[in-house]
Amino acid sequence: MSPTATSAYTRQEMMAIATGREIHDGELAIFGVGLSMLAGFFAQANHAPNLRAMTEGGVYGSTPVGGLPWGIECNRISTNATSFTSGLDALGCLVGSGRCDVGIIGAAQVDKYGNVNTTGIWDGDIGDAYRAPKTRLTGAGGANDIACGAKRFLIMVAHERKRFVEKVTYISSPGYLEGGNARARYGFAGGGPSAIVTTLGVLRPAPETNEFQLDAWFAFSSIEEILANTGWPLKVSAHAHVVPEPTAAELAHLRKVDETGALRRQ
Amino acid sequence: MPPPKLLSLAEAVRRYSWDGMQYASGAALPIGSDAVVFGRELLRQKRKNLHAIFHCNSQQLNLLAGAGAATRAECGFTGLEVFGFANGLRRAVESGELVLEDYSNLAMPLRLLGGALNWPFVPATVNIGSDLQDRSAFAPAEFPARSKIATVTDPFTGRQIGAFRPLKPDLAAIHVTLADPLGNSIMLGTEWSRFELSRAAKRVVIVADAIVDQACIRQFPNLVRIPEIVVEAVVYWPFAAWPQSSPGMYDVDEEHMRTMNGALATSEGTREYVRTFVESYRDVDSYLDMIGGERLALLGKTRTAFLLDPYRKWLLPAAEVARRQQDAETR
Repeated sequence: MSPTATSAYTRQEMMAIATGREIHDGELAIFGVGLSMLAGFFAQANHAPNLRAMTEGGVYGSTPVGGLPWGIECNRISTNATSFTSGLDALGCLVGSGRCDVGIIGAAQVDKYGNVNTTGIWDGDIGDAYRAPKTRLTGAGGANDIACGAKRFLIMVAHERKRFVEKVTYISSPGYLEGGNARARYGFAGGGPSAIVTTLGVLRPAPETNEFQLDAWFAFSSIEEILANTGWPLKVSAHAHVVPEPTAAELAHLRKVDETGALRRQ
Repeated sequence: MPPPKLLSLAEAVRRYSWDGMQYASGAALPIGSDAVVFGRELLRQKRKNLHAIFHCNSQQLNLLAGAGAATRAECGFTGLEVFGFANGLRRAVESGELVLEDYSNLAMPLRLLGGALNWPFVPATVNIGSDLQDRSAFAPAEFPARSKIATVTDPFTGRQIGAFRPLKPDLAAIHVTLADPLGNSIMLGTEWSRFELSRAAKRVVIVADAIVDQACIRQFPNLVRIPEIVVEAVVYWPFAAWPQSSPGMYDVDEEHMRTMNGALATSEGTREYVRTFVESYRDVDSYLDMIGGERLALLGKTRTAFLLDPYRKWLLPAAEVARRQQDAETR
């Protein structure tokens, strides 16, 4: 991917900005390590100055300096904190409890009900007996806890056909499970995924079924491109529209957070 | 006053570890405060068949798994954050040499808390409804795997919830920034799950980047989240988390994180890594020489160094630590 002819920003930057626009001022928010952290802290820098942002390590009140942190204990995020607590506190007391308004997680695979796989890639179905994956990924981490507990969560993922599947092989973090109100069986504190923001556009759950459908495309993409890169017959919302391009201010705020250019590298 | 518990790393591993044990560490995040050097010593002493309890994978588990010393593991997160997949662990899981049981990053501290409190189980409102509950690598034939996360009824509401199995590891090697010679410990940065682990484990060995006089501990008792009463031994080892970071002390060594993870991707690379970076040093000084003075100085110039300022006047010089360790060992 490279900046398109009509724009001076990358697809990853558009994805981060579109994700950040989903975050509102004053909310209690949790961001995973990596691109979701850039999207979240972009929102804080751009339009949500009173965002109460945290990482799952219980690092509170800090904003990254010097670019994308390598991890939660990186000096880039530990250098200006106002409180250090623990995983039990951040993921338990503030997220699992249902207090957190919004979380951002990533995905290796996502399906039409917003279920996320970050555990592994198998050749075909796992089958009745569990077996090790052909390719082992990073596991659930805190994403499962965010998916169960946060009032809503956003999924950020590169829009590639192999990642957008009818049904994920392994549910690491629950979306709407089999759709409809299946989540109600488990009484989760959280409400489920409110959007899948990709490198091509934005998908949102349809009312009742909770099946994700195409809500918006980016200026450099199209409905056709999105359909071609989705592994299930993606429905298109009657209100599908183009997402406004990043403003100069948005790009400036994002690039200040993304000082090392993680979103500009291809 | 109880006797000082300073002990050499080699002796701590000899005394408190054995083949097939449930070994916990990594109660830090993947690039942070983990007792990585304790894992190196486990390899030097040829420990094997370890059942690793790591809240998150770290370079320690990556190394133990890649070198074949750990054959079972229970984890929340199994990558290396922005450094990507953990190649040693990944290779061991894909080849079947290590059986990995997956949980989430909240499940692990809850299970440790359950062990610490001696609860029969811990109510689970996360991990349920996903394959973390339905699939078990330890009981592969079971589907849904209810011996892993059972389903129980909330006695107050009648609602179906999950039940986590508590953890009580045989040994926890816990990295801290500062400890006094008895083991009273201060952690700078997030404690992640080191508090819960220190109470859940049957034995705790503290691995400290620096040793402080007890006057420091008495100045900041609120910050001493691991008191000596739960500690068996204290190992003094500067840069114990290298190549990971220790907030206030040193930054993550980006180059070695990549070198190490690259080497662990193959068994030949792992053998070479073990020769060069595990078996090559004799003591703390030669360990520091191996990393290199220039690099140590660079890593030590961390943006978070100011976090250490309130404690600096109590840091004991290496020679004084050695003297007190000798006293402790000859008692």
